[in-house]
Amino acid sequence: MSTERPRGAAITGIGVIAPNGLSAEAYWKSVREGLGVIDRITREGCGHLPLRVAGEVRTFDAAALIEERFLVQTDRFSHFAMAAAALALEDAGLGKGDTAEPYSIGVVTAAGSGGGEFGQRELQKLWGQGSRFVGPYQSIAWFYAASTGQISIRSGFKGPCGVVASDEAGGLDSIALAARVVRRGTDAVVVGAAEAPLAPYSMVCQLGYPELSTVEDPERAYRPFTSDACGFVPAEGGAILVVEDEEHARERGTPVRATVAGHGATFTGASRWDKSREGLAQAIRVALDEAGCAPEEIDVVFADAFGVPEADRAEALAIADALGAHGTRVPVTAPKTGIGRSYCAAPVLDTAAAVLAMEHGQVPPTPNVFDICHDLDLVTSKARPAELHTALVLSRGLMGSNAALVVRRGGDSAR
Amino acid sequence: MIIEVTVGELATLMKKAAGVTVDPMELAKSSDSPFGTLGLDSLGLLGIVGELENQYSRPLPVDAERCRTPREFLDLVNTTLKTGA
Repeated sequence: MSTERPRGAAITGIGVIAPNGLSAEAYWKSVREGLGVIDRITREGCGHLPLRVAGEVRTFDAAALIEERFLVQTDRFSHFAMAAAALALEDAGLGKGDTAEPYSIGVVTAAGSGGGEFGQRELQKLWGQGSRFVGPYQSIAWFYAASTGQISIRSGFKGPCGVVASDEAGGLDSIALAARVVRRGTDAVVVGAAEAPLAPYSMVCQLGYPELSTVEDPERAYRPFTSDACGFVPAEGGAILVVEDEEHARERGTPVRATVAGHGATFTGASRWDKSREGLAQAIRVALDEAGCAPEEIDVVFADAFGVPEADRAEALAIADALGAHGTRVPVTAPKTGIGRSYCAAPVLDTAAAVLAMEHGQVPPTPNVFDICHDLDLVTSKARPAELHTALVLSRGLMGSNAALVVRRGGDSAR
Repeated sequence: MIIEVTVGELATLMKKAAGVTVDPMELAKSSDSPFGTLGLDSLGLLGIVGELENQYSRPLPVDAERCRTPREFLDLVNTTLKTGA
């Protein structure tokens, strides 16, 4: 550490492309109202598959937001990421990112599956016409690292870049990595995740997950923490944040919307949900420790809310294990039940929701969820007003990663 | 039959293979500019080589994807197509 005081990692920009909103403002409005937008899958070629409902980003007009060469050369998941990054940069007052100091801004994204739709199109050419008909952009477009590269290319950023491939929880790990990069001296990092898992090929890949909900009623398909829990519903879209050196943000007069205070990550094995209790509790403890945060200081928990009974039980117990008696009193919410789980992007959307919840003093509700069968104060039906200073965001992945992130309201940073 | 790939066809291929829009007149004027300054990267040129190989059902020399400028590329492609016709 070259400076005397540790550099704080501030969140100064939020960009959202989600099934329930194509900006942070629209997303928050839907989340606060508890709007459920899970619906029949309408993507071409998906009608015969046993997965019937998902969270689709329906009104996204890629051609209006992304330059043609990126449309041709990249997949839908990168289109989402580039559009969300542009919104986040604009929100942070960094314009299109054409900075005079390109080395001062880095990019980090997390991805679960990469560009399935692009990949399917090229693989169809491979088996339909032959290898000579596969376009060369296949080599980069379906790679899970594509969005980090394309965001940096599009904006001319030359600072430290990274890609986190650590399962769904990687969304939180990417934010932690961005905070670390900022603390080591980079002014700002564009960070987050976007996924596009609703093309036929990608959907077939998911059908093997026993945790996937195949219930056809959109309002009953994803209901974690209830006795009707029957798995999770996938979603597309994502969120990108600007994580910036707190001092740098203050110097240029940009509001510090929140600070990244602590993070913990553990691994307990694929689909071993009973084990995730211990792993998630440990991730929470590590995050609290790094944040210098007592369990009682947590004002709201954004739950992972997997929707599988064993996983829900493990999460409720992990919250109690790590937060003690406070764990049964603290408001818990899972706005993702209104849109589905967009894999790595889900916890980044939750982090965005946590920042917005702290700013608005409201804990958003958990759509479609009633009659909780766990000892949690899950917020349902409508938003609950509350003075929120510190939020805990939780995430787990199908492959066994667990992560916890502590974020504090802007101006509240204790350290 | 004289086979020749024109500047206009190259502009069309740049759009199709790489999403790079360039006016054919401009491309003709900039035919000594490196592809990079026209917005076309090496993968894009590789894609154009593939499109032409499929269109004319014959391989182009490996040097085709290493050409730096539109003029260099079109000269190589058209010489190859003529000699093989």
